[in-house]
Amino acid sequence: MTDTSIARRGGGHASAPSGRPRRSHRPQKASGLNPKLIPYVLLIPGVLVMAALLLYPMIQAGIMSFQKVGIPQIRDVNPRPADWVGWENYTKIFENDIFWSALRNTLVFAFVTVSLTLIVGTGVGVLLQQLSKRMSTVLIVGIMFAWAVPPVAQGVIWRWLFDAEAGIVNWALNLLPDFLSTALFGRADWTGVPWLNEAYTVYIALIMTVVWASFPFIAVSVLAGLKSIPNELYEAARVDGSSPWRTFRTITFPLLKPVFAVLTILSIIWDFKVFSQLYVLLNGPTNREAFNLSMFSYAEAFRPPPKMGSGAAIAVILTIILLIVTAFYVRQMIKSEEVQ
Amino acid sequence: MKIVKIAGVTAALALGVAACGGGETAEPAPAASAAESAPAAAGPKFAGQTLTMWRLGDSNPPAQAYMDDLNAEFQKVTGATVKLEWIPWPQVNDKFTAAAAGGAGPDVTEIGNDQVPLWVSQEALSPITPLTSAGDQAQIPKNLFGLETIDGEVYAVPWGAGTRAVLYRKDWFDELKIEVPKTWDEVTAAAKKIQDEKGKDVDGFAFNGGSDANHLLGAMAWSEGGDYAVKEGDKWVGKLTDPTFKAGFETYTSLVTGGLSGKSRLTQNTVDIRTRFANDKVGMYLTASWDIPGIETDSKGKVKADQLAFFPLPAKSGGEAPAFFGGNDIAVWGTTKNTELANEYIKLATSKQWADRYAKDGGLLPVYPDTLASLASDPVQAPFAAAFAKARSFPADPNWTEAGETKAVLQNAARSVIEGKASADEALATANKELEDILNQ
Repeated sequence: MTDTSIARRGGGHASAPSGRPRRSHRPQKASGLNPKLIPYVLLIPGVLVMAALLLYPMIQAGIMSFQKVGIPQIRDVNPRPADWVGWENYTKIFENDIFWSALRNTLVFAFVTVSLTLIVGTGVGVLLQQLSKRMSTVLIVGIMFAWAVPPVAQGVIWRWLFDAEAGIVNWALNLLPDFLSTALFGRADWTGVPWLNEAYTVYIALIMTVVWASFPFIAVSVLAGLKSIPNELYEAARVDGSSPWRTFRTITFPLLKPVFAVLTILSIIWDFKVFSQLYVLLNGPTNREAFNLSMFSYAEAFRPPPKMGSGAAIAVILTIILLIVTAFYVRQMIKSEEVQ
Repeated sequence: MKIVKIAGVTAALALGVAACGGGETAEPAPAASAAESAPAAAGPKFAGQTLTMWRLGDSNPPAQAYMDDLNAEFQKVTGATVKLEWIPWPQVNDKFTAAAAGGAGPDVTEIGNDQVPLWVSQEALSPITPLTSAGDQAQIPKNLFGLETIDGEVYAVPWGAGTRAVLYRKDWFDELKIEVPKTWDEVTAAAKKIQDEKGKDVDGFAFNGGSDANHLLGAMAWSEGGDYAVKEGDKWVGKLTDPTFKAGFETYTSLVTGGLSGKSRLTQNTVDIRTRFANDKVGMYLTASWDIPGIETDSKGKVKADQLAFFPLPAKSGGEAPAFFGGNDIAVWGTTKNTELANEYIKLATSKQWADRYAKDGGLLPVYPDTLASLASDPVQAPFAAAFAKARSFPADPNWTEAGETKAVLQNAARSVIEGKASADEALATANKELEDILNQ
């Protein structure tokens, strides 16, 4: 208890007093197995689970994207062999207008949402550190509730908030003074304004939903990172008369760079595949102009008549885009580390 | 179109007999005779077996009572117990997809007649041709099997027929002294009056832009003489750009642009509308009488059947608009292991006594011609009989569901017009091409 940081770093040793005598025996115990192999042996269970739950379906989806697959091909009672159609699923998708609007929606949404989540999350994280310990704990618990809300429930909550007649959003906008509302949005009367009809406004609602639910994680991660920065650095900065913004830019941000890198990649991955919230906000795959790629893939694959081949092809395209974006970002990250 | 002819014939027959003062009682025969008409030979042969049956819709009390009686009778005759599951209409396609793919389907299912071609193309139903030419079922007019017969095999038996009419709040009409509308202009006026008196957020006449939107759009387009597509040779040719279809389409979009229905509810289907109707938020909408028990339940008894009534949808061009020739069928699920037992179930359920009671309890029109004839004098059924006489149908193609529900081609066209993104001509031209592509794929 006296020095927690050491205890944390010690990891396994923390439980150690009684383990000490055993430690001397360890090399003998492991001698039955080549020590070089141990990591691989330990990886086997994880790899098996991943292979069964992730690798196999991924390969299957890849194969299906070149086939015409409907219900007769996948049912378990005398299934029919699937026809190989080559690149047809892909060419058909590229010819489809829905694909291009879905692609645009996915990319713009991911860019805006990742940026907003990181900005809001970092801001909240930095502010949390200024608070007293008790206050920040209360706030962390509070915002983590939003993070813990399941995606479908998030969708339902925001669907109600954005409801045209009974929603609190329109009610609140109506409370604004008319001149302010007109100056900001070009309208004074918000009664019955439908938010969830048009793609543009649906995405405003979706961005709010996702940012609301994902910034707490960023905030808490940033806070944890901030706590690891030695206080001396800030003291030195203060002595030198550095402004808060300059302190953030020259001390906090560079030191937290690895944290930001991980958070950005995670956010990109999460925001590219948002599905449940959009499904609820749209009330199912109804307005196809507001589809993102996940929704388009779902609608193709599972809405009658099911075209699982083209659904799989969209999923493959989504995966490739995600890989490119992530790979690009990881490269950037490694490069900048090397420079340092 | 075949179905149109049938509908005409059946309804004409119904009305004709009614005019003759047909004194036949519509009362179902006592239960005892059912056992005789049902397959007594099967006997307790199936004792101890279980049959899974999917009923579509909500389990309202009369429907539940019907199923309890039918299943008790089935158990008495065959010895098998029936496991009944209710599937709400909007979930039907998803449930069927999951069942057909996963193999955990029912043995027997109810199915909408326009869904039969799609699910036959997915090999989800078993042919039951021999069943339709023997016993009671031989009396069902052969031309009612239009959507059910594919490549010479029958895949489903019509259980009850249904068309849609306008359900309205009779108590509101009485209170506001509105006459039952006979023309489209009177419908608009009535809707406006309801909105003035009952609040701006009330839909005077609800716009349906959801999965079953084409029931409403179709009625309006057909009433102008338009149609979705016609088959020329082996190719579907889209007819959405015809001025006739456009006229109906514009009536349809004018429900929202004219303010009769809220702009924020462009994707609501009949079930969503029904919920709002039960909560005093809708004055009129196009539906069938099976909605009434659901409304009573949804409103927790505040809106009762005697506050509601139907009238045939008036066409904008005068007269009554043709309705969609709808109907519920019953079919044997493709992967069932109890084919014989499933066939017995269908035989019993569609026997004259049970099919007649199915139609009567469910607010549908019976498929047996003489029963239909005796029903035509019923004031509740009269609006439907009128619509039935002019009933039409969507393109009979397995891909229709993709165009009409999944890709929501016309719902999207309507949305882009309502939101002012495209003119009706542009939107319909795009939709026409897409409809042709989907139907001809």
